[in-house]
Amino acid sequence: MEISPGDIGLVARVTQLTKSYGGGSTMVTALDDVSVGIRRGQFTAIMGPSGSGKSTLMHIMAGLDASTSGRVWIGDTEITSLGDTELTKLRRRRVGFVFQSFNLVPTLDVEGNILLPFELDGRVPTAEERVWIDHLIDTLGLRPRLRHRPHELSGGQQQRVAIVRALGSRPDLVFADEPTGNLDSRTGREVLTLLATAASAYGQSIAMVTHDPVAASFAERIVFLADGRIVEDRGRSTAAEISQFMLGMEGVL
Amino acid sequence: MREHAPSILVATLSAAFGVSLLQVTGALATMISSAPGMSESGMVAFMLSLVGGVFIVIAVYVGAIVTANTFATIIAGRTRTIALMRLIGATASSQRRAVAREGLLVGVAGSVLGFVVGTAVTFALISLAVATDFVPDLAYGYLPPVIALPLLAVVLTTWLASWIGSRRVLDVSPIQATGGAQEMRHEVVAGRRGRNATAITLIAIGLGLLALGIVAGFATPLGVLPGLVGGILSFSGLVLGAPFFLPPALRLVGKALGRGAASRLAAENAMRYPERSSRTMIGLVIGVTLVTTFAVAAGSYQEILTQARLAEPEVYAGTEQLVTVTVGVFSALLGFSALIAAVGMVNNLSLSVLQRTRELGLLRALGFTNSQLRVMVVAESAQLTVAAVLVGLALGTFYGWAGAQSLLGSMYGGPGLIVPVLPLWLIGTVVAAAALLTVAASITPTRRATRISPVVASAVD
Ligand SMILES: Nc1ncnc2c1ncn2[C@@H]1O[C@H](COP(=O)(O)OP(=O)(O)OP(=O)(O)O)[C@@H](O)[C@H]1O
Ligand SMILES: [Mg+2]
Repeated sequence: MEISPGDIGLVARVTQLTKSYGGGSTMVTALDDVSVGIRRGQFTAIMGPSGSGKSTLMHIMAGLDASTSGRVWIGDTEITSLGDTELTKLRRRRVGFVFQSFNLVPTLDVEGNILLPFELDGRVPTAEERVWIDHLIDTLGLRPRLRHRPHELSGGQQQRVAIVRALGSRPDLVFADEPTGNLDSRTGREVLTLLATAASAYGQSIAMVTHDPVAASFAERIVFLADGRIVEDRGRSTAAEISQFMLGMEGVL
Repeated sequence: MREHAPSILVATLSAAFGVSLLQVTGALATMISSAPGMSESGMVAFMLSLVGGVFIVIAVYVGAIVTANTFATIIAGRTRTIALMRLIGATASSQRRAVAREGLLVGVAGSVLGFVVGTAVTFALISLAVATDFVPDLAYGYLPPVIALPLLAVVLTTWLASWIGSRRVLDVSPIQATGGAQEMRHEVVAGRRGRNATAITLIAIGLGLLALGIVAGFATPLGVLPGLVGGILSFSGLVLGAPFFLPPALRLVGKALGRGAASRLAAENAMRYPERSSRTMIGLVIGVTLVTTFAVAAGSYQEILTQARLAEPEVYAGTEQLVTVTVGVFSALLGFSALIAAVGMVNNLSLSVLQRTRELGLLRALGFTNSQLRVMVVAESAQLTVAAVLVGLALGTFYGWAGAQSLLGSMYGGPGLIVPVLPLWLIGTVVAAAALLTVAASITPTRRATRISPVVASAVD
């Protein structure tokens, strides 16, 4: 009998994952036999140099892209063989996203963007969910901005809206790809603190892709990728330790 | 040049329209002058060339407007590239001249192709009519020198249209090369005021002339001349002020679309850039208005002729066949303008979907299924189509009535008020064509939209 990922406290898992692009002499192997699980309730950072396969790993784990070989689970559901519509619905209900930029639908105001996942699912938030969303909106100071459109917000405010949207439906897992990549360091710290709090205070599982040691230092666990392979998997570390490790990694390569 | 394929098609259709119209009018004149027993052949031939002239002006006008709008859309789609060129040092005016050069090329290509296509269509039509003994087999001239006029007009108007459409090049700031999020904001803010004022002035003058034409029409068919000018002016005003007049119609139709995330987003998208939506719609509005105008006018004309035949059968003998031929030929030619409108619409919608790749990717990542995406695109094109058709039907009924009144008010039976006839076949055809167009205009964009991978949502670019 197979152990399901949920049994061992994993909210997402990939095994023997390989992803290659192109073919023949131009073939690029972005991920090479990667096996890793994201633990429930934890803030995990995925780090590595540019081109190491971080985004690719996130895309496949979140069901945004298909793998070349290997298996992928979200919760107890193996998504490797799901059709597009089932996968989309699963993503809608169980995964949240925060991207580096262009997170919001330009035609919808802040509230419309926050409630979009519910609307897509053809339902309104329950009373309990409404309380949670209101709490997030107030905590992030977005209350006076609810009627504004994305282009009327600063980059940091847009990221905060994206975070409220991602956390609002209490998904199993929130993926964030370089969520602070476009922000100055102070706003970036705000956003990171927020993500860390969501994990520690509310048990939200978060996987964040970053190449910034300071950003990674907010996480409870750091997985390092290099050339499409996992080269290190460690607990909470300071920015200095992370930088040190990355420098060492470059030295080896 | 691939990007210009739709514009070349539009120029080709416009040129073909003009060429074919002149050839057919020429053939009809040949036919009438040689027809035996036409007691009033001189008068009918004169009326015919008058009506023919009206249609030529309309044809060139439609071609120019559709071409200008197509170019504006192309320029809008190029904002990023133009901004990048500006960023690395190209001047705005050199960028604009480059676009105008393309316009000239498109005009020439379209003109040449249009000449070939138009002549072929005329030849086919006349051959068919002769073969079925519908018209006598006469020596019809296919190359009257006058066909140089629409060809030249297409080249010039396309060139001019590209120049006007490229005005937006000047609004592109180099900054736009860096941010992907804000496409085409400048469209919203571009000098609205003066344009609306011009539009309202044109409409006011146009309506005045139309009224004059209608009044004069009680005395003489020449009332159609001020009427025609008035129609063109007021309609130009409407076209110019379209971003001002069309959105309310669009909003109304959008409300009727229903709820749900897909329909709501579609409605929002349609309202997002009023100028772009108006541009997408205006071709169809013009097309439907034209067809309706003609159908209503022709319907009224046939009504009058029927009455005249009943009263004086000997005088109006033989007119029935002639009128049927005329109406048939003109309907077919108007089909051309509808085709031009359709090309413009399909092109605009495809572009607007293409320019939203990132946003559609985001929606996919957040959980929009492919079928929801499809619903959204179809709803968007349905909203534009339905609104355009309704506006076109209303305008066409008015213009058709005004035209019939000013041209025919003095005809048989002296001064009389003509009741607009909105033929049932027209309503049926327009509704069916609109439905077909909605589907046709959605095919390419939905195919593109559903091919977009959700991964692009996280692209940094
Ligand atoms: N669509 C694609 N086609 C071909 N190769 C690709 C594609 N997407 C990614 N790659 C390649 O896969 C490898 C991993 O890319 P990925 O985007 O996952 O890197 P990353 O770790 O996120 O880098 P960065 O920090 O620069 O964002 C790279 O070598 C990249 O060139
Ligand atoms: Mg990346």
